[in-house]
Amino acid sequence: MSATAVTTRPILAARSVRKTYRLGRVDVPVLRGATLEIQPGEFVAVLGASGSGKSTLLHLLGGLDRPDRPDRNGKGESPEPGENTVVFEDRPLSGLSARDLDRYRSQEVGFVFQFYHLLPELTVLENVLIGAMIRHGRLGYMARAQGAQREAIALLEAFGLGHRLRHRPAELSGGERQRVAIARALVNKPKVLLADEPTGNLDRKTGDAILDALAAHRKQTGRTMVLVTHDGEVAARADRVVHLRDGRVVDGAG
Amino acid sequence: MVYGPGASGRIGRRATRPWGPVADAHEPTPNLRFALPQGPEVQPHPQPPQKARVYQALLTRRYLTTKVMPLLAIIAVMLCTAMVLIVWSIMGGFLVMLLSAGRTLMGDVAITWPTSGFAYYEDLVARLERDPMVAGAAPAIETGGTLVLPDNRIQNLRIVGIDGPSYAIVTGYDECLWWKPIDKPLPKDQRSADLVELHEGGVIAGRIVSRDENAVRIRVGSSGRGTVREIPMKEIAAIRVGRWGDPRLENHAKWARLHKDGLRLREVDPQTGLERPALVLGIEVTGFNERTLEGYYVPQAFGVRTEAGTIQWRSDFIPESKLLLTVYPQSSVTGRPMDVVTRSLPVANEFKSGVFEIDANTAFIDLGELQRMLRMDAAPRARQARGADRYAVEIDPQTGRERLRATESDEEEMEPARVTTVLVRAKDGITPEQLAARCKEIYAQFEADHAGEVPSAPPLQGTGRPPPGTMIIQTWKQQQGTMVAAVEKEILIVLFILLFISVVASFLILAIFWAMVSEKTRDIGVLRALGASRAGVAWLWLRYGLVIGLVGSILGGVVACAIVWNINPIHDWMGQALGLYLWDPKVYYFTEIPHDVEPRKAAIVLAGGLIFSVLGALIPAVRAARMDPVRALRFE
Repeated sequence: MSATAVTTRPILAARSVRKTYRLGRVDVPVLRGATLEIQPGEFVAVLGASGSGKSTLLHLLGGLDRPDRPDRNGKGESPEPGENTVVFEDRPLSGLSARDLDRYRSQEVGFVFQFYHLLPELTVLENVLIGAMIRHGRLGYMARAQGAQREAIALLEAFGLGHRLRHRPAELSGGERQRVAIARALVNKPKVLLADEPTGNLDRKTGDAILDALAAHRKQTGRTMVLVTHDGEVAARADRVVHLRDGRVVDGAG
Repeated sequence: MVYGPGASGRIGRRATRPWGPVADAHEPTPNLRFALPQGPEVQPHPQPPQKARVYQALLTRRYLTTKVMPLLAIIAVMLCTAMVLIVWSIMGGFLVMLLSAGRTLMGDVAITWPTSGFAYYEDLVARLERDPMVAGAAPAIETGGTLVLPDNRIQNLRIVGIDGPSYAIVTGYDECLWWKPIDKPLPKDQRSADLVELHEGGVIAGRIVSRDENAVRIRVGSSGRGTVREIPMKEIAAIRVGRWGDPRLENHAKWARLHKDGLRLREVDPQTGLERPALVLGIEVTGFNERTLEGYYVPQAFGVRTEAGTIQWRSDFIPESKLLLTVYPQSSVTGRPMDVVTRSLPVANEFKSGVFEIDANTAFIDLGELQRMLRMDAAPRARQARGADRYAVEIDPQTGRERLRATESDEEEMEPARVTTVLVRAKDGITPEQLAARCKEIYAQFEADHAGEVPSAPPLQGTGRPPPGTMIIQTWKQQQGTMVAAVEKEILIVLFILLFISVVASFLILAIFWAMVSEKTRDIGVLRALGASRAGVAWLWLRYGLVIGLVGSILGGVVACAIVWNINPIHDWMGQALGLYLWDPKVYYFTEIPHDVEPRKAAIVLAGGLIFSVLGALIPAVRAARMDPVRALRFE
């Protein structure tokens, strides 16, 4: 397996993942064998220039995208066993059916995006609850509705949005929207929070407040967090910073 | 442990379901506030428990209430559903009206032996009327003839000899008689008018604007926009103010007399006081009845050339005139034409069945009179013995010369009266087909009892064309085969066109949904990132289509019912406000537009609207489901 020996098993790991996008007729390799291991409870920042493939890496970690299939990893050769795969708690995501991958996204990870991506027709509370609705399905949600709602409200209140429950996203400021998005990502209590430039669309002060809130949340819950950014200052708040350059993790061993 | 696809397959998928719903308690609910500068301090307030629903339902509801697009889609479905239902109801209603009008004067089953007719029909009628399936039976003769009209035109007609009372039991003859007292104006007839009758004939209808000793000024026409005519008093025979145009609303005694005469096809000669047979003509036969916009008839003036060579204007009332009827008797044995017979007959009444072809080409006459004219009545006639050699010779013992052998059949014998048709009406609940089968049995028995004297019976089985040389026993549908087939084909054509409209509606939904899915691409990506499955996203859009189809169809059904039920007032309003009479009783033969919505049709159309909405949403739903979530998230 990996040469890096660690005392604990990583909760989430990308092992030499490759991802190629097709632009017109040209294959553009974005990730060329990126390897990253995240320990439970760790806060890892992935630092990279725009276009370095950091969002793609996050999407692969979150099961939103799959690595290249063997026949597309360049010369048509099969990867080494255990390579070109994302592993969550010793289980390779490539072995999951579409249905189990949906469950993985729903229950084990939570996404936060640069542009918040709230559903504009729903209220703040509904935006947070929709994650729980998707997770439990019709009957499951009906049985849990009250509990889920209590938790969503508690979460929103914890993020200082208790007075905004019935508002639409369009009525909120950027910082408030991002905090709703974080609450949405956390509503199913995922083991890993994946944040893609969560402060990239905010001014420094608001961005710092978001990072403070994330830090406070982490301190309280010990949740594993992966944050990608191009901003060194933002990355500096993580336990560990890895650099992504030319589709590879350069100094991610430490 | 070995990783990678195919190494150990779908690890833990079925065995342990690692990501199935699990107890969500590996972390306590955070109850601390993360210090944030922006958020004002607000006490957590209790929320009313929201109704539990799955995310598709929530989104459907929110999309429906916050967007214009679904409103447009609902309106599109509504309009299409309403249009289909309206067209189908009115068109179908029209065709059904046509069909039932064609049936009015036919009875359910006709037993026919054309041309020479068949004897002992009274016995057949009696046998039929004893049967529990039969409501009534009526003998009739159908033949051709000519009529000399009041302006000396000669008109070829179908002449039908009937026994009025029994014919009225078997058919809708009584309701068809036009000149009878009525208490309410026709549904279309909603305006009364002032009438100015002229000495020289003719009536001017309109609104009298002013009148004095010398002249009357009248605004012609009933719409209020006609020209004003000034008519000198000396030309005026009578002025009637505020009269309904339909003459049958007044002089009820006269119409009651005509009605009674029409039913019996007899009238009392005012000069001799004796009853005499009379004609009942189709209302369109003479062409001297003008059908008005309101759907009733008024006598129309016509010109007749006098002996002096001038044209004289007359406005005869047809039921008060006498016409010359000519018919063409045929030999009962050979079918050869004999001398034509012409009678001058009074007209007792006129009838309107609702089918122009019938009303323009048919005259009814008393059955007994027609039998006499056609020599089909019971009378002593010389006839040949059956099978006798009519040219056999013998030697006259007195003169020694050859002579035609005299047979006993050369003596006069009573020949029974004949008719060409017996019409039968079924009791309620008996179909014409059942009745036709029963009639065949009854006729077979009748034929057995009159062996050799009546045409042979058709086979009991089989509904198709009877074999030649047997009695023709047909239901009204078989008799009207061509018309029934045409009407049924027209209904099919209408349905086919409507199917095309539905496909168009489906494409409309498709286009709208395609645009909505495009607009919502990023939200679809978000839902996928939150763990929504492809099927879940597809169901979101299908469900959306279903709701739009449901709401649109129901609204469309409501709109269609509102329009169809009120089609006649709407049409009248259009006529008054816009001068647009689409359904002009002068042109169309029914005074009212059909205005029934059959529940069966409504159910089919509503279900169709729903199905086509879902079909229209299907392709966009599949497209939404197939979207790559990463691309969808990057979609701007």
